[in-house]
Amino acid sequence: MSNEHTVKSYEEELQFLKDSLIKMGSLTESQLSDAMDAVIKVDKDSIDKIIKSDEEINKFRSKIDTQIMNLLVKRAPMAIDLRETISSLKISQDLERIGDLSKSNAKKVKPLPLDLPDELLGNLKRLGELVMKQLNDVLDSYVNKNFDKAKEVWEKDEQVDDLTYIAMESVIDFLSKDKKNLDFSTHLIFATKNLERAGDHITNIAETVCYLVKGEYLKGSRPKGKVIQE
Amino acid sequence: MSNIKIKSKNLDVFYGDKQALFDVNLDLNEKEVTALIGPSGCGKSTFIRCINRMNDVIDICKVTGNIEMDGMDINDKSLDVVALREKVGMVFQKPNPFPKSIYDNISYGPKIHGKGETKSELDEIVENSLRKSALWEEVKDRLDEPGTSLSGGQQQRLCIARAISVNPEVILMDEPCSALDPIATAKIEELIDELKKTYTIVIVTHSMAQAVRVSQKTGFFHLGKLIEVGKTEKIFKNPDNKMTQDYITGRFG
Repeated sequence: MSNEHTVKSYEEELQFLKDSLIKMGSLTESQLSDAMDAVIKVDKDSIDKIIKSDEEINKFRSKIDTQIMNLLVKRAPMAIDLRETISSLKISQDLERIGDLSKSNAKKVKPLPLDLPDELLGNLKRLGELVMKQLNDVLDSYVNKNFDKAKEVWEKDEQVDDLTYIAMESVIDFLSKDKKNLDFSTHLIFATKNLERAGDHITNIAETVCYLVKGEYLKGSRPKGKVIQE
Repeated sequence: MSNIKIKSKNLDVFYGDKQALFDVNLDLNEKEVTALIGPSGCGKSTFIRCINRMNDVIDICKVTGNIEMDGMDINDKSLDVVALREKVGMVFQKPNPFPKSIYDNISYGPKIHGKGETKSELDEIVENSLRKSALWEEVKDRLDEPGTSLSGGQQQRLCIARAISVNPEVILMDEPCSALDPIATAKIEELIDELKKTYTIVIVTHSMAQAVRVSQKTGFFHLGKLIEVGKTEKIFKNPDNKMTQDYITGRFG
């Protein structure tokens, strides 16, 4: 028995959907990485480019929505195809939100002074690297339909929470030393929080991948690290 | 937990030398809809024909193993097949009303089974059956017209009314909507939803979407074997067997 659909165009439409999602994922990765770089290097020249790339991500989202609507109407997908279709819808939503958060972070670069001390940015940089790694891993788990890897990402969100807490503390410490820092410190606090939120969307994607692969949701609540009260 | 109405154990069916069903073990729950799916020739119709002993009419057909309804052995040679078929009604792919009036189509069964001895009793059975099959409002003023004058969808509901007129416990439906348009199909599906409150229903269908819509349990047959059976939701979202998944997703080679 073959693994291909009897209807070739159905096979192609599903493949096209997966390809679109992978491209959207890779664009979201670049944008997150660029936005992180911009914050750490206080690189104001790259802001516009990052904002522009968010438009691209949003376009992908609409394109994927249309592909999914067409698949649902034309094919009434079942079982793995249904899970693939619905998962694509959910993952594309999470990717789009990660894109929005990266754009928001890029915008926060504008008011930052160029001479920020390393000790202030060190923890933020580590948090950014961890979130990047998480996004990379979760997209890998999607491409390879790897349940264990997706679950690992889901579990590692605890570390994102912990690092967020530490990064927040560094900014608050810095802020408490001199009230003059209030303006831009607030932006750094938001940037840190945005990364933590991106981490949450990544965990959503990990949950979706687990459902896609095994057809059942992960049991229990996700491990949580230290959380800054909002 | 639902009661088991029909239970098949190690059921084999042969047409001459050719084996049509292999060791089928399947429980059908009372007052539930069970959908049987699978490619043509997989044995799903053969299976439902075992439930009302329709295979008896085929000389070369041999049934071995066990099939029970409420603990009663359906294959018992001493069983009164007419009484069995009174309990197990059947609706076919193509609507097949008798060449008689709408009224007579319904009253014929009760009459031969000795139900409804007076005209008013029969009138009541006819009206009730047509109401239960959601046809009464459409035909109440033309009960004397031939059953064949109705539209395809109405004819099929007439056949369902005919099946329920003798007050059965089980209704077998062999692709009851495959000759109907979407509106007529929707009416039959709506009706199945209503009928399952009273009857145990088994439906053979080639429409996956229909199986999902109407049934609580689904069995997938392939080459005479029951490959997988389970809750409909599970079968169509996340089946255990790869062959089931390949079939319902259209990957069957």
